[in-house]
Amino acid sequence: MKSNWQQIPGERKSAILEQWLQSALALFPEKMASGTPTGEALLEGMSMVLDNFDGNGESCGEGINSIARIFAVQPLRPSVALSLFPLLGELIMEKAPASADTRALKARIDAITFEAFDRFLENREKIYQLKVEETRSQLHMLLRSTVS
Amino acid sequence: MSKYAPRKAQLAREFLEKPTPLKGARADREWWEMPVDFHDGNWCFPGKPETLKEIGFPNPRKWAATDEDWQLPDGWQKIIHDGLKERLKKFRSLKLYLDACVRCGACADKCHFFLGTGDPKNMPVIRAELLRSVYRNDFPMVEKILKGFSGSRKLTAEVIKEWHSYFYQCTECRRCSVFCPLGIDTAEITMVARELLNLIGVNNNWILAPVANCNRTGNHLGIEPHTFVQNIMSLVDDIEELTGITVNPTFNRKGAEILFITPSGDVFGDPGVYTMMGYLLLFHHIGLDYTISTYASEGGNFGLFTTNEMMKKLNAKMYHEAERLKVKWILGGECGHMWRVVHQYMATMNGPADFLEEPVSPITGTKFTNAASTKMVHIAEFTADLIKHGKLKLDPSRNNHLRTTFHDSCNVSRGMGMLEEPRFVLNSVCSSFNEMPENTIREKTFCCGSGSGINAEEFMEMRMRGGFPRANAVRTVKKQHQVNALVTICAIDRATLPPLMRYWNPGVAVYGLHELVGNALVMEGETPRTEDLRENPMAVAEEGEDDDA
Repeated sequence: MKSNWQQIPGERKSAILEQWLQSALALFPEKMASGTPTGEALLEGMSMVLDNFDGNGESCGEGINSIARIFAVQPLRPSVALSLFPLLGELIMEKAPASADTRALKARIDAITFEAFDRFLENREKIYQLKVEETRSQLHMLLRSTVS
Repeated sequence: MSKYAPRKAQLAREFLEKPTPLKGARADREWWEMPVDFHDGNWCFPGKPETLKEIGFPNPRKWAATDEDWQLPDGWQKIIHDGLKERLKKFRSLKLYLDACVRCGACADKCHFFLGTGDPKNMPVIRAELLRSVYRNDFPMVEKILKGFSGSRKLTAEVIKEWHSYFYQCTECRRCSVFCPLGIDTAEITMVARELLNLIGVNNNWILAPVANCNRTGNHLGIEPHTFVQNIMSLVDDIEELTGITVNPTFNRKGAEILFITPSGDVFGDPGVYTMMGYLLLFHHIGLDYTISTYASEGGNFGLFTTNEMMKKLNAKMYHEAERLKVKWILGGECGHMWRVVHQYMATMNGPADFLEEPVSPITGTKFTNAASTKMVHIAEFTADLIKHGKLKLDPSRNNHLRTTFHDSCNVSRGMGMLEEPRFVLNSVCSSFNEMPENTIREKTFCCGSGSGINAEEFMEMRMRGGFPRANAVRTVKKQHQVNALVTICAIDRATLPPLMRYWNPGVAVYGLHELVGNALVMEGETPRTEDLRENPMAVAEEGEDDDA
């Protein structure tokens, strides 16, 4: 089942991407500009999500992960960071034709949001793993002789 | 008039609307009105009382940045004022940097912490303003009269909290100074601010613990001499297993020609130890007459991140040991801030080293005239010279399993201008070297985001934000050239870039330059090599492989 994404003309897709990016930048606690490495990486991740919106392909997942990874180290609550994905649904609905299949779109947005939630949590867990691994690396020689 | 000149209407609008770096409800307020916020992941643990007592630093106590009351000593305002006054007199550069800034903002978007956080207080201009605003309130007469117009403010406990937060979000990398039209070095402002904070016991345990260890036993981890030797001998065993070659490092040997000093991370930490194995193989390959000291067993100098007196004290052991062992000159391993101290301060701080000779390579006869003052040579220069003279038997295809890029370490590239030597060595020992984008390398290199003693575990989220611009540049070459190896010549980088890569660019491992040299060296009498120094299989070069070199 296709959502309404394919029915939206190209120029409107660009407008959605721009609005979505601006909304993402507005989430940062401080002023984050679009031309920064963070802004550009977000744009790239968002483009990947939108370009593969109707599929469940790897590229969409990669885009979701890159967005989740950026927000997982920002001082934001998960509910705030992930509000970005339901927002995408709203932006698409605004630009979709009147005959749009709302249910299909909502289902797709839900799936994307859940996936983003998984990736966000994985990245948070990664931070804690890194803390442990770093301590172990510093004591590499000591642990090598005592553990092995 | 140039077609690029701003339009009159634009200028008028900007004047009337007053562009602000702040957002939302705070947009019409001044930067100093923004509250300081400490939460998990954005502050480093303070120094432990016992550590402070050990090194004689003031105000030892138990406290945390999240405490309401930081238990500052009585009369702390006077201590800071007197401390600043003393330093303004002592360091003319500080006075110049505080007075000269015209707040043009050229530095604003050059800081990796600003780019990673968007926090305006991470703009170098505002970071300096944190101190400058207090200086202006009390020192220059005209500005004192014009209080309120000159952006001056009183020194309060809130200001101290702000200093602690933002002067420990600066890695002293100096990228901002490259772009400053007046040449202001914000790193030196950060250094002085940290000195002032240390006067009242506002500090960082990740810096002070290594300082105390270094002060007591000679290296960051506080490893005693026999364990130091044991670790290196354990690496000697590993080398023998991998190559069939027995290398013979000596320790504290009087009369050796060269004293070799490297950061202790190369002796204890992963992946630094593989770089150490590379050094040992190289020295054996050329038959170098060298010794390693268990007293000067640390190249790094965390004193640089506390006070200039502590930096001087920790640095002095290098010359003391060189004199005691009666060597001719000192060879230094791959490190960043160690070289900032050596290159910029050592000669005037603890020199003249008139008991040493101007360094001459015993293999090639090259005179390192650039080291005539310090008598200390960087190993990348030393190895580049060996390769240039054809003194090394190298097989770069042994590194064919690695597709490399090079991270210029801030202190070595910006701090001492060493840009070509590591690239020359890298190009000689591997077949795939790919540069990151032009504005992220050489003197414009992005910091690892964790230098200057802020690579504490509890600071990990902030480090990931600050390191993002570097990671993003690596991501570019990973995508374009399938890069899987980030090579660097700094021990802090070897410690901090692995987590940065694991987070942002999984699949990219971090290597020291001399680890790759060690892989590529063809040793006389070696057993056939099948594994690199990490015991990973060495790839056989495939026919028709595109190297992108």
